Amino acid sequence: MDQEINFNQVTHTYQVNTPFAQDALDNVSVTIAPGSFTAIIGHTGSGKSTLVQHINALLKPTTGEIAVYGRTINPNTTNKNLKQLRKHVGMVFQFPEKQLFEETVIKDIMFGPKNYGVSEQDARRDAEDAMKLVGLDENLSEKSPFDLSGGQMRRVAIAGVLAMKPQILILDEPTAGLDPRGHKEIMDLAQELHDQQHMTIILVTHQMDDVVDYASDVIVMDQGKIVKHGNPQEIFSNPQWVYSMHLDLPSSAEFATRLVDEGVPLRHTPLTIEKLADEIAQLVQGGQEHE
Amino acid sequence: MKDIIQIKNISFNYPDQPLLFDKLSMDVHEGEWTAIIGQNGSGKSTLARLIDGLIVLKSGQIVVDGLTVNDENIFEIRNKIGMVFQNPEDQFVGATVEDDVAFGLENRQVPREEMHRIVEKSLRQVGMWEFRDRIPANLSGGQKQRVAIAGIVALSPKIIILDEATSMLDPRGRQEILSLVNEIKKQNKLTVISITHDIDEAAGADWVIVVNNGAIVEEDKPDNIFGDIEKLESIGLSAPFTSQLMTALKARGIDSHSQYLNDERLITWIKKLISTK
Ligand SMILES: Nc1ncnc2c1ncn2[C@@H]1O[C@H](COP(=O)(O)OP(=O)(O)OP(=O)(O)O)[C@@H](O)[C@H]1O
Ligand SMILES: Nc1ncnc2c1ncn2[C@@H]1O[C@H](COP(=O)(O)OP(=O)(O)OP(=O)(O)O)[C@@H](O)[C@H]1O
Ligand SMILES: [Mg+2]
Ligand SMILES: [Mg+2]
Repeated sequence: MDQEINFNQVTHTYQVNTPFAQDALDNVSVTIAPGSFTAIIGHTGSGKSTLVQHINALLKPTTGEIAVYGRTINPNTTNKNLKQLRKHVGMVFQFPEKQLFEETVIKDIMFGPKNYGVSEQDARRDAEDAMKLVGLDENLSEKSPFDLSGGQMRRVAIAGVLAMKPQILILDEPTAGLDPRGHKEIMDLAQELHDQQHMTIILVTHQMDDVVDYASDVIVMDQGKIVKHGNPQEIFSNPQWVYSMHLDLPSSAEFATRLVDEGVPLRHTPLTIEKLADEIAQLVQGGQEHE
Repeated sequence: MKDIIQIKNISFNYPDQPLLFDKLSMDVHEGEWTAIIGQNGSGKSTLARLIDGLIVLKSGQIVVDGLTVNDENIFEIRNKIGMVFQNPEDQFVGATVEDDVAFGLENRQVPREEMHRIVEKSLRQVGMWEFRDRIPANLSGGQKQRVAIAGIVALSPKIIILDEATSMLDPRGRQEILSLVNEIKKQNKLTVISITHDIDEAAGADWVIVVNNGAIVEEDKPDNIFGDIEKLESIGLSAPFTSQLMTALKARGIDSHSQYLNDERLITWIKKLISTK
């Protein structure tokens, strides 16, 4: 089935037709390619969470439409018949607490598969596999998901979505609250799902290093609009513009900029540590060869 | 230097759970920025809740600015501590952003004029004044964190505890908020405890405490903490950016022979290398 995600002139206003109306998306048109690893970045309140919640019809557009997985979502779409769509489009929310509701961790993770008709036994196996994937200790299985630390809750929420084996995986700031090892593990896992199972990954993030390390496509949002869509090199090529979007360069590029300001004649703006080290080594060792 | 928080031999467990802290002790120096780092589930938020008296010790004692944390002193202690929770939604009480920030001031019987002035100033400082009439629950994740921080800044507490309070801010926003807290710290001798997974933020602290499985495995100045990367990695943490770059340079035969350099010192060293080549 067609896995392309296509936004066609989508506008979203929260509490439309009330005095509290808030515009959050402004005439957004974009195509997210199947099998891509797309990062969505942008300042606080720019519309990232609102955008991604349209992909599995948690939010409906105020005007315009979204085509996804052979479905069209428009302002008249009701919550009926969305089950298939939501099976294929898995979403990890920005606040994991929003996603948890069962009495125990294991039941919470099993809920998705069971809801789609998987047997108790298979659902348990899927849930246990998912717990391993996200680094959750099995002795947390019988705990209430609400009696966990922030990072543990985040892992349960991710496991619950993975257990459903979606084909499109939306991660809304999935690493907020994760420790450095967990952060790397979850990002590597996303990459593996992308590379090996051809999952489409949509990652909302404030971590510019992750954008460079993992994403093939980047969407930049500002005030409800998509202001740029390209690969990481294109997006970060103009530092002044990046700053004006309230974003940063990746750490290596940021550090390189400081070196240049201090008179170190780097020729390129490296986006990764390895490239930055290459550039510095060339200056240091390249010089020695001439002596 | 005065220890504004003294944690003496505390033990604690959640109901029907094994001991999380078993005779843990530590101190927080007044006027310093203390970063607490440690892997998920290691007990950082629990420690913050114990200091604020939100949950009760099994044994041991916590003293905050000369007062023992107990039922009798709890209100006085909470007036000294401003805590920004890991999930900002746990913090909101007001119907609007403005009410929410005003709430703590009302409780402290700050006169109305003064209150309005402080609320406006605090909301402007975090860039949320335009959102004053909004319902906190209907804000974006980063906007919620900003409002939660404004609510604490408004109270001018002696101690601020930030429990991953900037985890959902855009990069520039995070820097702005951290600079804001740093500014207040300088002006008012504020003590800051920042629980964070951002290793580069911790590298900028005055003092770093590393916890793992309910125990303090190390506490020291950042320079000493980040000298031993392997140890940090073995407990789920990572190296700051500068250490990672130094490792990459070493692999290319460029060795600083130092354990850890912060940004400035690393830049100085690289400049020297290039100018003396
Ligand atoms: N339920 C809601 N009701 C009213 N307005 C809302 C609601 N949710 C979000 N908004 C507003 O819509 C705009 C976009 O919010 P959204 O949550 O999509 O931002 P975001 O880019 O995800 O931000 P962040 O990085 O802070 O999570 C913001 O101005 C926000 O205040
Ligand atoms: N309300 C609770 N009831 C029972 N156990 C709890 C409760 N809250 C936390 N725990 C457990 O106590 C331990 C410490 O949790 P805490 O929230 O203090 O960790 P943390 O260091 O803040 O972790 P994180 O980085 O994930 O936020 C964890 O194993 C957690 O599962
Ligand atoms: Mg968001
Ligand atoms: Mg915590």
